[in-house]
Amino acid sequence: MAAVQVRGIQKYFGATQVLRGVDIDIGDGEFCVLVGPSGCGKSTLLRMIAGLEEISDGEISIGATVVNDVRPKDRDIALVFQNYALYPHMTVRDNMAFALTLAKQSRQQIEQRVQKAAEILDLAGHLDRYPRQLSGGQRQRVAMGRAIVRNPQVFLFDEPLSNLDAKLRVQMRAEIKELHQRLTTTSIYVTHDQTEAMTMADRIVVMRAGVVEQIGAPLELYDRPVNVFVAGFIGSPAMNLIPGVVRYKNDVKQVGLGPGVWLPLPVGARAEDGQHVLYGVRPEHCAVGESGLPVEIAVVEPTGADTQIYGRMNGHHIVATLRDRTDLKAGAQIFIAPDIARTHLFDEASGARLDT
Amino acid sequence: MMTRRLPRLSQMLLFLALCAFAAAMLTPVVWSLLTSIKQPIDAFAIPPKWIFTPTLDFHRAVWVDKGFAGFLFNSVVISVCTVCLSVSIGTMAAYGLSRMRGNAARGILIGLLTMRMFPHMLLVIPFFMLAKFLNLIDTYPAMVLALVAINQPFTIWLMHSFFADVPTEIDEAGAIDGANEWQTFYRLVLPIVRPGLWVTALFSLLLAYNEFLFALVLTGPHTKTLPVAIAEYGGEDLNYWSLSAAAAIGIMLPIVAFMMFLQRHLVRGLALGAVK
Repeated sequence: MAAVQVRGIQKYFGATQVLRGVDIDIGDGEFCVLVGPSGCGKSTLLRMIAGLEEISDGEISIGATVVNDVRPKDRDIALVFQNYALYPHMTVRDNMAFALTLAKQSRQQIEQRVQKAAEILDLAGHLDRYPRQLSGGQRQRVAMGRAIVRNPQVFLFDEPLSNLDAKLRVQMRAEIKELHQRLTTTSIYVTHDQTEAMTMADRIVVMRAGVVEQIGAPLELYDRPVNVFVAGFIGSPAMNLIPGVVRYKNDVKQVGLGPGVWLPLPVGARAEDGQHVLYGVRPEHCAVGESGLPVEIAVVEPTGADTQIYGRMNGHHIVATLRDRTDLKAGAQIFIAPDIARTHLFDEASGARLDT
Repeated sequence: MMTRRLPRLSQMLLFLALCAFAAAMLTPVVWSLLTSIKQPIDAFAIPPKWIFTPTLDFHRAVWVDKGFAGFLFNSVVISVCTVCLSVSIGTMAAYGLSRMRGNAARGILIGLLTMRMFPHMLLVIPFFMLAKFLNLIDTYPAMVLALVAINQPFTIWLMHSFFADVPTEIDEAGAIDGANEWQTFYRLVLPIVRPGLWVTALFSLLLAYNEFLFALVLTGPHTKTLPVAIAEYGGEDLNYWSLSAAAAIGIMLPIVAFMMFLQRHLVRGLALGAVK
């Protein structure tokens, strides 16, 4: 196990800069998730940690060693690819044993480690099969088995669940998390799915356009997003961000969200009179009440466990998630009452959180 | 993926068209075979005689009396050496080009294509002069090296198309597992393109085996190949056509044997998109 440090990493592909000075500290044994939209540079950063991409500027350390000029095979890392990258002409056993064979380990030791990894991953009955004879989930397990047998300092995962169906993804997510709890190896996991990030990570690194937007524990990002991007990216459905302006009303600063619609400032928020802001409230922190945001319901989506309400207020889309079943229908006029203790305020121009 | 099935009538028409095509392709071969085991008077009878007394005299004459066994040996040696050299060098070059980043690989491949389009007629004299200078006329190395040189672009292009279909993640996984560049090429990527390797070998073999112009100029009494031997065959012999037919059937045998032996690999390689 080892800590990983990323210092001032920059990456250029020709004239295009894809990473603009990234600094991340990943603790020993930590499960760190890099999350962000496509093209944000998360996979590029992972590949640079693996040694598969050259570093334009900056430094990467694994343990106490700066690995900028160290070859991938000497970094003591293992990578699980998005499309598994299994060797199609080798059996599962040979796929998992290949690295150990190259390292000239004894046959007994190789067999022992392969068997142990196969038992952990429930692959013991498939060792003599070829990848083409396996399902997607089994192939993914073989890819993880190939990583486990090497007993590396760091596991790297590059969107390993992207090619799986939704149900299998949920199952594999839990298996990967369980594996990490068992092995406690430092893990860096790349995904574009914020649900995977929230459920698996010890800490999340949210990236956009080659820059780190926020680093923190999942609930920290959920409860206190530092800007509009993180607020909208973390949580599903996304946070409602309603444009408004701060004004004094009855000597108290309030946020005007439309004609006759006023809400108090969120707890701990600080804004100037006349400042244009975005009022953030998560759908799950909304309730139907006697007052609040006047919304005309457009769509009602009962999911079984809860009910999603899609509506409009003054032309803005509003989403509310109700934990109970409801008789509300499309076209109805309701009031959405946000939980003021759990609302957020952002500056409209910069997107930054307005906080004390 | 859904497989579209043709309507029954279309399937029948397609089958008939394929049968007609196969018949058109096989007719000259069958005709040659029959001519080679008929007496000339039977071979050129009108209408054609389908009931006749077969003879192996002409096959015996060609392979024993006329010494075609020796020419076959020369053709096989030159072709096999050409294939071994050409495919090994071309495969490694193609792999390197397929993994090269940027536009350099594209430029090299286009350059190779240009070389391939160069008329062989213009290359014969320079090759002859070079072989004469090196005292290699009528030797196996002269022919082998010339054939490797002119066929290399084809080999590289064909193998490049196979390597391009192998995801680079295989190479990356190998790099992380600890494989060096040679191990990645030989143990990880090459086995994946093995069907394509056989197809490339077959096409190289055909090009080398059927080569006439370079063989005419670079070979002599010791290294004469079958195409040259047949072309030199005297037309004044009354049994010329029967003897030629026997020679033609004999020339085909090594190639047919090669293809039958490797049929499974060839079909797989062609199905993978060998010919592009």
